[in-house]
Amino acid sequence: MNEKVEYWVKIPIGPIHPALEEPEKFIITLDGERIINVDVKLGYNLRGVEWIGLRRNYIHILYLAERMCGICSFSHNHTYARAVEEMAGIEVPERAEYIRVIVGELERIHSHLLNLGVVAHSIGYDTVLHLSWLAREKVMDILEFIGGNRVNYSINMIGGVRRDITEKHRRAILDMIYYYRQEVMPKIEEIFLYDPTVEARLRDSTVIPKRIAIEYSAQGPTARGSGITKDVRYNEKLGVYPDLGVKPVTPKEFTGVIKGDVFDRMVVRVGELWQSMEIIERALDQMPEGKIKAFPKDNMIIFKLKKAEGEGIGRYEAPRGELIHYVRAEPGRDGPAKWKMREPTFPNLFAVARALVGEQLADVPVAIASIDPCLSCTDRVAVIDANTGKKKVLTEVDLLKESIKKTKEINPNIKAKPERVGGVGL
Amino acid sequence: MNILYATLGLIALYLYVSFASLLWEGLDRKLVARMQRRVGPPLLQPFYDFLKLMSKESIIPRHANKFYELAPVLALAVSIALLAYTPMGFAPLFATKGDVIVFIYLLTLIGFIRVLGAISSGSPYARIGAQREMIILVSREVPMMLALFTILWRLNHLGVEKPFSLATFYQRNVWSGTPLALIGTFILLFVFLAWLASEIEVGFFDIPEAETEVAEGPMAEYSGRHLALFELSNALKMFVSASLVVAIFLPWDISAYVGLSGISALVVDILFHTFKVFVVLFISMSIFRAITGRLRITHAVQVFWLRLLSAAIIGSLILAIDQLGVIA
Repeated sequence: MNEKVEYWVKIPIGPIHPALEEPEKFIITLDGERIINVDVKLGYNLRGVEWIGLRRNYIHILYLAERMCGICSFSHNHTYARAVEEMAGIEVPERAEYIRVIVGELERIHSHLLNLGVVAHSIGYDTVLHLSWLAREKVMDILEFIGGNRVNYSINMIGGVRRDITEKHRRAILDMIYYYRQEVMPKIEEIFLYDPTVEARLRDSTVIPKRIAIEYSAQGPTARGSGITKDVRYNEKLGVYPDLGVKPVTPKEFTGVIKGDVFDRMVVRVGELWQSMEIIERALDQMPEGKIKAFPKDNMIIFKLKKAEGEGIGRYEAPRGELIHYVRAEPGRDGPAKWKMREPTFPNLFAVARALVGEQLADVPVAIASIDPCLSCTDRVAVIDANTGKKKVLTEVDLLKESIKKTKEINPNIKAKPERVGGVGL
Repeated sequence: MNILYATLGLIALYLYVSFASLLWEGLDRKLVARMQRRVGPPLLQPFYDFLKLMSKESIIPRHANKFYELAPVLALAVSIALLAYTPMGFAPLFATKGDVIVFIYLLTLIGFIRVLGAISSGSPYARIGAQREMIILVSREVPMMLALFTILWRLNHLGVEKPFSLATFYQRNVWSGTPLALIGTFILLFVFLAWLASEIEVGFFDIPEAETEVAEGPMAEYSGRHLALFELSNALKMFVSASLVVAIFLPWDISAYVGLSGISALVVDILFHTFKVFVVLFISMSIFRAITGRLRITHAVQVFWLRLLSAAIIGSLILAIDQLGVIA
């Protein structure tokens, strides 16, 4: 055996730790300051959202989905609405699509500004945290002005949006964009592109190479920082986004090189701030007049969805990456028979855990912050025995066994024997 | 009788410096908050913190050994002993020949006791913090000591009563001399300001106590009274380290100008000294921690051994060339 083993130290980062905004756990094996292994443990933030959702009707779930996460509240609610619309074949008015774009991009600005501050805080650069969060207040005010709330603005409805953007909103948004362009963005660019401390800490730290990013299916700024031009708004021609000239932002346009390190991920976020402002401006110009809802009354939606059949998938580029909601209907039921979502944090977390091996302990907080983790969205699978209180984490093997058992229960005639694909030994 | 007066003076000095250093911490938090567009805590917040901590229960981890409880007391004791050898606008209370060695020894001992206390707590975070503190400790002393001894050697050449003692700085001004000597002294001032920032662990050098990485590092397990003692000894250490920089580079007193003598001269001197300490700390602590983030430990070691040590060597060489008259 390697004699070094006895000097290795295992350090838990989490579930509660100053570096983390939400409960999650990383068990880090250290050799001095160098990281040997990272083990990710999830499941500290399980609230049973899917279970609650299956006991609500389609419209209730809109508000439940919004409350899954504090930052991407619009993204969840939007993606869920898209999934239901695809399932029931509901046409969304064009003006509603434009309003969704505007609010979605405003949310992206606020989420990215928040993350820039969090990353700065994790390297101990608190001035940047306080100033970028001060700048973020402006967009929060606009969101409150439009939606009536700072965080849960409840814009979406199935088949449209609930609130219109009028002339006074338009003026406020243009004011905000002017303020950001003149006051905030030059400073942010100076800090995240040229500051020596930031460069010393973020450059070449926690590199996720393009191959790893593809293998682990990294999403959003994490993937684009590694040079993958992946953006659902662009690749899937989502809604009215193609008319607004959206393009995946890669660090190449700013620094000329793609390294896939923390620095590149932050550069992508800075680029997306610029891009979001352009998109909002274009959307405000091109927005047509007309209806904002497919159904004037909400009870008509329930009436129509009760008869719906089939399944729908909604996709949207949330600030953290691609968000997918899956909804399956059952005729005669006013809620979904199945509702499932996949958050960008889940694949990103494992990509960054892999990239952390060989780095220093000092890189852990900043690497975790650089993917902008949102654990309250991600945590939904943990099995706890109510009688004994014992927690059991299901592995791939267990899940395969359970699903074979369930399939046999439902349909005993199935003969096929599924096998595990890839992965390490049983 | 003399030793009695010195002891009474030490007690008075201890009370005064505790007050002044905690007051500076409050000022620093307020100033940095203003730089960050925040309101900041009340000016007396460090006093409230200290009193609150003193009244709180101190939790002792199961894996801690005896030294865990002893370390804060020792750290405070060493800080108080250090005050006897600190120049405070006048020569140290217990000034002797070569007391500068005692000063550096005691200053390092505080860090060493912190490391021992952290290792005794049995927490993995504290262990990593202790490792980092140890690495920084051995790196930061080298450029500082080179700079300090060069300056003392130069003053010694100019002729003083007790060579290599801290009282020397009040007899001879380092800024006197040729322009070349001024350049060398200025480089050494920069080395000292960087050393001061690393001694009080702010900005680039907030590595051992990195909050977001190792959860306050060596202090991770300390709570209640033990933490309060450590906080106080840290505050004293901060004041004392800044006092060294002030004594070397800003040794001017005002009591001679206004024509005071006796006790009132001492009081005026120490107040003016406190003001100078606050100015030095404002540069080396408040501004420095507002405009920088934390480095990795490898970066920090590089900064010490490559940048600061070479700066100290260059400064020392310039002073030596000037002093020995290699170029006429």
